[in-house]
Amino acid sequence: MDVSHVFSQGLLSILRKLKSTPDQEVRILLLGLDNGGKTTVLKQLASEDISHITPTQGFNIKSVQSQGFKLNVWDIGGQRKIRPYWRNYFENTDVLIYVIDSADRKRFEETGQELAELLDEEKLSGVPVLIFANKQDLLTAAPASEIAEGLNLHTIRDRIWQIQSCSALTGEGIQDGMNWVCKSVNSKKK
Amino acid sequence: MLACILQYFYTSFLRYWLKWFLRQATGKCELQRICSGYKPGATRTSKAEYSLQSSKSKVLRNALTATRDDLPQCVGQIMQEKNIKPQKDPLFKDSLQSCLLQITGYNQLYVEVEELRKQVFSSDNPDHESKLLKLWDLLMPSVKLDSRITKQWGDIGFQGDDPKTDFRGMGLLGLINLVFFSENYTEEARQVLSHANHPKLGYSYAIVGINLTEMAYSLLKSGTLKPHFYNTVLGSPELQHFHQLYCYLAYEFDKFWLSEEPESIMLFNEYREKFHKKVQLHLEDPDVCLTLRVQN
Repeated sequence: MDVSHVFSQGLLSILRKLKSTPDQEVRILLLGLDNGGKTTVLKQLASEDISHITPTQGFNIKSVQSQGFKLNVWDIGGQRKIRPYWRNYFENTDVLIYVIDSADRKRFEETGQELAELLDEEKLSGVPVLIFANKQDLLTAAPASEIAEGLNLHTIRDRIWQIQSCSALTGEGIQDGMNWVCKSVNSKKK
Repeated sequence: MLACILQYFYTSFLRYWLKWFLRQATGKCELQRICSGYKPGATRTSKAEYSLQSSKSKVLRNALTATRDDLPQCVGQIMQEKNIKPQKDPLFKDSLQSCLLQITGYNQLYVEVEELRKQVFSSDNPDHESKLLKLWDLLMPSVKLDSRITKQWGDIGFQGDDPKTDFRGMGLLGLINLVFFSENYTEEARQVLSHANHPKLGYSYAIVGINLTEMAYSLLKSGTLKPHFYNTVLGSPELQHFHQLYCYLAYEFDKFWLSEEPESIMLFNEYREKFHKKVQLHLEDPDVCLTLRVQN
């Protein structure tokens, strides 16, 4: 057997291996009130420019590779008018990410209600939930601990959950949150 | 690959020799041939722009970034550099100057648009506030706002009860475009709003408007709008021409959306992309004019 043959054999088997273990696909749903920062989180994940974002009419979807996963992230508009459509995207969700504007105290009650309703949804039962306490770059932002308390997160017993303070604008905290997402997918699928 | 090599060969060698040959044969330089060979519009101005960009002479390249006041001087320098005698080609000076006015005007327009986009809408700014209230009055003349913060904003397609958070990445530019459309095409704007409020085929009027401002802005930034402005504005394009283009997009998008009958608003981005492609296709036509024409 000549050398080049061995080489091409080796290369082929590597290629085949790569092909036979495609990245595990993960479906992530990004929800929350309008102006929470869902699209900015999505664009940060995809390393895209975040300076020209406009309100989301409908939804955006992006696929990102992370830690051997192919994350399919669905960012659904948060305005009241289209919240009834959220349920159309629940099926087969692996992780729910709920984004909160930590500086918009006037709407803490509204965002808490929406989250509680989501956690009651049958199609989302047992789905791990990550709460991004976003906009920590703002001076008026409430700390994650205060939000966790206000939303009674400690009463969640039927799933694993995590609250992560972050700033989608600066990117701070986003990666920490995504590490938790990948970890929770791993433990769930094993 | 072959096309790439040929392209390289053409721009590096062939184009130069071809120009030299034509110069000897016609006694005119490339800029003269462009200015005399085409009527005013996108083809002529784009060709002149390309010729100036790829010139080896700094004088010619610098003309592309000159300020408006310096243009007559720039044209004079170019004529000197290229040894063009006004007696032999009396029309050249004006033709080149009007091309340059369009080219530098386009770049200046982008600077002005960008400035407006970067201005964040602020409730503390009385001018911003009065623009917002004006938008309401123009669109809803028979309904009064209960208060500044109210759910009523949803009736003209803002997301929540305070529109200020909806301008986001488009800043004041988004608001000015919305007001301009309602002020200059009041009937059409109200008609579009009534379509947007359709129970089945509806969409959020203001949000979609801000989204279309983003489309206009990106098209401007990438240079894609050049043929449109070169064809429709003889001198230097101004802000109002950009707002006019927004009006075209808002009016045409509404027609497009209605004719496509999308299943729900959730499919907005899919149809926005389709519409975007359609606009881009129009912009590939050298005779393109994206002007709002009202249908009766």
